Amino acid sequence: MPRWLSFLGGSRTDKLFPTQEIGSLAKPTWRVKGFKGEKLSKDEIAEAVIWARRLGIEDVSELIKTLGGKDSAERRQAILEWSATLAIRLLETAGLDVVFDGEQWRSEMYEQVARNVAGFALLGLVKSFDFRYFNKAACKDTPRYVRSYYQDEFLFTKEHVERRVKVPFTGPYTLVDWSFNEFYEQQLNENIRDLRQRKFEARREFLFDLVKDVVRPELGMLVEAGASWVQIDEPAATTNPSDREMRLLVEVFNETVKGFNCTFSMHNCYSNYEVLAKYACELRGCSQLALEFANRDSQQLGTGSERRGFEKLALFEDHGYRGNYGIGVIDVHTDFIEPPELVRDRMLHAVSIIGDPSRIWVSTDCGLRTRSWEVSFQKLRNMVLGAELARRTL
Amino acid sequence: MIGCYATGMFPRPERLIAVTRAYDRKAATEKQLEEAFEIAAKEVLAAQSSVGFSHVTDGMLKWQDLLRPFAEHLSGVRPGGLARWFNNNTFYRKPLVTGDLKRGKPIVGVDSHIMPLPRTIAWKTILPAPYTFAQLSENQFCKDKTELMFKYAEALREEIEDLHRQGFEYVQLSDPALVYRPDGLSVSKDELAFVSEALKLAVAGLPVATCLQTFFGDFAAILPEALDFPVDHLGIDIYETDLERLKEYRFDKGVALGLVDSRNSLVEDSHKPAALATEILDAISGKSLNVYVCPNCDLEFLPWNWAKEKMQVVASVAELLRRQSNG
Repeated sequence: MPRWLSFLGGSRTDKLFPTQEIGSLAKPTWRVKGFKGEKLSKDEIAEAVIWARRLGIEDVSELIKTLGGKDSAERRQAILEWSATLAIRLLETAGLDVVFDGEQWRSEMYEQVARNVAGFALLGLVKSFDFRYFNKAACKDTPRYVRSYYQDEFLFTKEHVERRVKVPFTGPYTLVDWSFNEFYEQQLNENIRDLRQRKFEARREFLFDLVKDVVRPELGMLVEAGASWVQIDEPAATTNPSDREMRLLVEVFNETVKGFNCTFSMHNCYSNYEVLAKYACELRGCSQLALEFANRDSQQLGTGSERRGFEKLALFEDHGYRGNYGIGVIDVHTDFIEPPELVRDRMLHAVSIIGDPSRIWVSTDCGLRTRSWEVSFQKLRNMVLGAELARRTL
Repeated sequence: MIGCYATGMFPRPERLIAVTRAYDRKAATEKQLEEAFEIAAKEVLAAQSSVGFSHVTDGMLKWQDLLRPFAEHLSGVRPGGLARWFNNNTFYRKPLVTGDLKRGKPIVGVDSHIMPLPRTIAWKTILPAPYTFAQLSENQFCKDKTELMFKYAEALREEIEDLHRQGFEYVQLSDPALVYRPDGLSVSKDELAFVSEALKLAVAGLPVATCLQTFFGDFAAILPEALDFPVDHLGIDIYETDLERLKEYRFDKGVALGLVDSRNSLVEDSHKPAALATEILDAISGKSLNVYVCPNCDLEFLPWNWAKEKMQVVASVAELLRRQSNG
C-alpha cells in the first residue's frame, strides 16, 4: 500500500472534514436472491466471496456454506447479516469516519416502513420516471406502531462497526408525501367543505399521528438501544414549496426530534434549495444538513466559477442557518470516479462560502444504491483521499 | 351534452411494468417490450370503452412524460436532466432547447397506438400546451420563454393538423404550469394575453374540438382572462381550485370538470362529485354548457387497478348528471 494511503484507517471524527456515508449501498444479487430463498449460482456466490476476501473477512468458508445452503429462515437471516457485514467493512475499508450498514436489512427506504406499520397498505407500483417505479401505499387507518423496523439492524451494525454510527431514518414528511391519504381525507370528508383545505388538514393530521404513534416510538427504541446520531431522511422536503407546507415540514421535524438525547441531522437531495434555505434555520436540533451538490456541479478542477453546482449553498448562510453541513461531493448517479483533487476543490470551495471549515462534513450526494460496489468503493475511497488533500491545503 | 374521458397518461398495467423493468435490466428484448405495450394499450382502450367514455385515448403508455415525445422529436430540442413534475414524486426530463425549434417530422406518432383505437368512439389526443412547454423547458436558444412558447405553438399546430388527418377529433392541451403557483402569485395579465395568442396560433380555425386542461393549481386564478381563450372547453382541477371564486363567473364555453381525484386512491362515492358538479354548473352557466366529467389529472399517479375504479366513478358521475339533466 502506498504511504499516502495509510491514513485511510483513521477513525477520529474530531479532525476537519470528517467523512460520512448517507445511507444505502446496492444490494448484491446474492443478497436479493438469497433473501427470497432462491438458489444462488456459482457466479453469484463467487461475487460474495471475492468481496469478502478483498475486505479481509475472516470466515469466508462460513459465508460459502451459508450461500450454498438450502433456504430456511436461519439462512435468510444469515444472508442479511453477511451483506450487512460486508457493506460495513466496505465503508470502513474505504476510510469513512461515520458508517452504517448500507441499509442492507431494508427492502427500500419507504417500503421498509410501510410494510411494518399498521394502517398502511401497499397498493402497487406507480411510475417515478421512465421505467422506474415505486410501490406506493395508502393510509387506510390511523398508523399504529406494531414492531420496530430499524432496531435489529441498528443493534447488529453497532456490534460490527469500528467507526461512529449514524442511523438513516426515513422522515415522516416523506412517508406522508409518498402515500395516498385515504383515511384522513375520508375522516374529514363532510367537516371541511373547501377541498384544498380538507386535503391540507388531512395531511397535517396524518403527519402528526404518524410522528406521535410511530416515528417517535421508533426513535425512542433506537435511542434506548444506544443510537447517538440519527439522520432524518426527507427527500420530499421541498416537494410542496408553498410557505404553508414548508412551515409544516419544519414543525414536523421539530416535533419528531423533540426531547431525545441524541444528535439529529437531516438529509435532503435533488430538491429546491432556494426554498429549503429559507426555512433551514428554523429546524431545531438539526446538527447537520446533508445536501447534494456534486450532481449539479461541473467535473472540472478548481474553485470559484467552476463550482457552479454550489451556487445555492450561500443561500443557507444568507438565511441564517448556522448548523453543520454534509457537503455532497460525490455524484451517485454516474460511474464517473471523482478524483481526489476534485473532491478537494469542492471542499475548499464550500469553505470559501461557509467560512468555518469545522462546520463541514464530507458526504456523497445521496445513498449509492444505484452504483455497483466496485464503483461505490472507488468513489468513497477518493472522497476520503480528497478530504485529506483539503485538510492539508488549509 | 355531458361526456366523460381521461385527462392524461394512464398507469401501466402490472404485466407491462414487469416487462419494462426486465427491459431496463436487459432481460427483455425490444420486441417483447413492443408486444407488451400493444397488449397493454388494448387493455387500456377496452377499459375506457367498457365504462362508457365518450372519447378514448391510447393511454399514452409509451410516453415517459408529457413532454418527452416533443423533447425527443422536435428539431432544436433534446431531453435534458430530470426534474420534479410539479409537486409529485414523479420526474420528467426537461426539454433542452438548443436550436431553432421546428417540427421536421411527426412527433407523437412514434409513441402512440393508433391501430387499436376503436372506430365507434371519438378519439382524443393529449398534448402539452404552449405555456407549459415553454415554462418547463430549459431555453438556451430563444430570446425568452415567450418567443419559445410561440415557436412551440407553431410546431404544435402542424402536429394537431396531422393528428386530425389521422382521425383525432378532440385535442386536449395540458397546461398545469399556468395554474401551479406555490408562491401564491398568479400569472400576470400581460402573460395571459400572450398565452391566449399562442393558443390562437396553435388551434384557431382547426376542425377539431379543443380543451385547455389545467391541473395541480387554482383555475380561478386565471379568470376572467381564461374565458376568452380560443378553445372550446376549459379544464378545471376541482381539488385545487377556489370553487367559491370560480362560481362568481359565467362561462359561455364548455368545461371539463376534474371531479375524480387521481392523486388519492380513495374511491369516491359518485353521488358526491355529481352534487358538487351540479352546484358548480348551476353557478357558472346553467345547464346549457357542454360538460365533460374527468379525473383532475393523469390517472398514472394510481396503480392500474385503482385507475380502473376511478374510471368507473368518472363514468358514473357523468351518468348521474345526464339523468339530472334529462329531468
